[in-house]
Amino acid sequence: MKKRVLALVLASAMVFSLAACGSKDTGSEQPAEQTTQEAAPVEETEAAAPEEAAEPAGPVELNVTTTFAGEDGNAQNFKSAVEAWCAETGNTVADTSATSDETFKTRVITDFETGSEPDVLFFFNGADANSFIEAGKVVSIDDIRAEYPDYASNMNDDLIVDSLVDGKKYAVPVNGFWEAMFVNTEVLDAAGVSMPGADYTWDMFMADCQKIKDAGYAPIACALGNIPHYWWEFAIFNHTSPATHLNVPDSVDSEQGQAWVAGMEDIKALYEAGYFPDNTLSATDDETFAMFMDGKAAFLIDGSWKVGGIVSACQTDAEDASTLDAEKLAKFDVTYVPGQGDRKATDLIGGLSMGYYITTKAWEDPDKRAAAVSFVSYMTSDEVVPVFAQHTASALKNAPAVDESVFNPLQIKAMAMMSGATSLTGAVQDIFQGDCRVSTFDGMPEIVTGRVSAVDAVAEGLEAYQDAQ
Amino acid sequence: MGANIYKNKKPLIVFLFPAFLFMLVYLFYPFFMNILNSFQHIKNLGQSTGRWNDPWYTNYVELIHDPVVLTSLKNTLIMMVVTIVGQVGIALILALLVDNIKAGAKFFRVVYFFPIVISATALGLMFNLIFLYDKGMLNQILESLGKTSLTDWKGEGLALVTMMLPVMWQYVGFYFVIIITGLNNISEELYESASIDGATRFQRVRYVSLPLLHNVICTCVVLAVTGALKVFDLPWTMFPKGMPMKTTFLTGTYMYYQTMEAKNVDYGSTLAIMLVVLGIVTSKIVNVIFKEKDY
Repeated sequence: MKKRVLALVLASAMVFSLAACGSKDTGSEQPAEQTTQEAAPVEETEAAAPEEAAEPAGPVELNVTTTFAGEDGNAQNFKSAVEAWCAETGNTVADTSATSDETFKTRVITDFETGSEPDVLFFFNGADANSFIEAGKVVSIDDIRAEYPDYASNMNDDLIVDSLVDGKKYAVPVNGFWEAMFVNTEVLDAAGVSMPGADYTWDMFMADCQKIKDAGYAPIACALGNIPHYWWEFAIFNHTSPATHLNVPDSVDSEQGQAWVAGMEDIKALYEAGYFPDNTLSATDDETFAMFMDGKAAFLIDGSWKVGGIVSACQTDAEDASTLDAEKLAKFDVTYVPGQGDRKATDLIGGLSMGYYITTKAWEDPDKRAAAVSFVSYMTSDEVVPVFAQHTASALKNAPAVDESVFNPLQIKAMAMMSGATSLTGAVQDIFQGDCRVSTFDGMPEIVTGRVSAVDAVAEGLEAYQDAQ
Repeated sequence: MGANIYKNKKPLIVFLFPAFLFMLVYLFYPFFMNILNSFQHIKNLGQSTGRWNDPWYTNYVELIHDPVVLTSLKNTLIMMVVTIVGQVGIALILALLVDNIKAGAKFFRVVYFFPIVISATALGLMFNLIFLYDKGMLNQILESLGKTSLTDWKGEGLALVTMMLPVMWQYVGFYFVIIITGLNNISEELYESASIDGATRFQRVRYVSLPLLHNVICTCVVLAVTGALKVFDLPWTMFPKGMPMKTTFLTGTYMYYQTMEAKNVDYGSTLAIMLVVLGIVTSKIVNVIFKEKDY
């Protein structure tokens, strides 16, 4: 009998221990209910004194996810800004930032779907954000302003991108981006090619590529099997125009659809001419970037964030700006992507494609609401935004005058290039999201090698896009 | 009451229940949901399903017609052969060699086992540097030997070999340890008797070690084959998205690609089911072929 009792006691202990393991959620619900009740007076206080509303009631830990990580030029700026905000407010930040790629996007969207979203996130404002906006899991700027009137009041609202879902504004932008063509001038000099300018055409580009190839260099640094995104965007842009670029074709047979096909055919022609590195189908983006930096490739289309990447690669210690090899950096320049048709070379891809969101979860948590507002307000303040924006645009109403003395030579070249831009158009790939991209992004090697026709690949992508609408 | 308590099995059920519950929640329920998901239209992880596929077996038709599935199955089959020959075979030879030396045996055990304790992702990154096209270790060695052109180790022609060599190398130590433990269990008296009867070292291995290692080798082969079905991290680190040209996909990496990268979650679920069926069938076949003997 004693043994039977002992067995039951042990079994009960096991069951309870399991129950204890799984009881965290239950445990957290109780205080949440209590704090909700306790929060009512706080809200009243906030309404009474809006100027103090952004101050959190006490130290809290905010879960924050951004793309300021890895090789992003602002990774260190973000760390410093977070430290400064924590020191100022006494709050802490659990930072789960990661490099911006498809895995990051999937992780964020999945976090929202499973209810484990962060409190604040710096994320894309295009179609990537549709799922969590549709689900009401982030708070619009207008809703926040109803309680915190000064929220993002330093921003020019016209420059804050509307959601594709409901036309409301959700994400407070920090820095804009542009995409252009970086140049290794050492390779150009060796091949006898002059630095391209604002009148650069596709035909001139093809002629230059041939000269560079003949001189024994790879004309274009691009891993088609890994990151064909930038070439994809500009190849299509060259067959559309700033006015029509953001229109996703209804079908492959439409005029816009044929423009997309022509863009893919252009990339195929470049591949067949041997203008990409020999291992472009098996290389990673890091490898082709290293070729560019080592003077083995001439042209690299990338975003404004690559300015920081190139500067870091010219430093012996990527974290220490004082180790910059100025002579090496002087070999790099940035110019316009060759244009054709209705697109001039000076028509660029760019805009304010990301911003800070406050999630509904944080907004409804009385402990975190004020802290989240305080955090975003700090990160988008007139003092912090210029540090992140550097040579790119911002949405600040009163953007400070640019002091060129604090910039490195490549940043100054980038600003000079941008000053000649005639238009800035968003990236259509930010609208053309999800599995519809697979046939022309991941399928680019099949397109350029002729295993899949450009028409079929584009048609497959558009079919998936229409299916998702 | 006395010994009757041992005849009453009911308390055992109480002890078994928590583990069963755990399996039910974290294994059987997700598996059942995965079957359902394979018939539905899901375009993001965690997204509640919108509708049933029309027809409901669409993904299974696609599975049959998808050329990449065939590629991944073929590569997985090659991986199985490589693991049996490369991992278990090399591990057996190394174990027999180490078993026949007296000095340094412990040193070699540590050396061969060492790759197991390194993270597969770290190994993948290390081998990426070794096989790098420009300035990679192998190409630099070949260049110093007079080769004028660079070899694309990750190109279509060599990609499979480049992927399988590190996988093979990583797990040799695992099977080495299992086999050497099996060798240690063979009584020294048998070897002494064979020596007295005039057996050479090779004959002692051929007629004493190998027959008595039969069951150990069978276990290793079963582990190797089922392990080959699950291998993921190292190939994905070295060849993300089946690069180049989707030629290096294994069943596991293709399932991950469809789910996480292509965001075709329902099709990823279908691939997962294929993987489970493949695992069950393969392990049954292997168990029949490499049946353990009773001595």
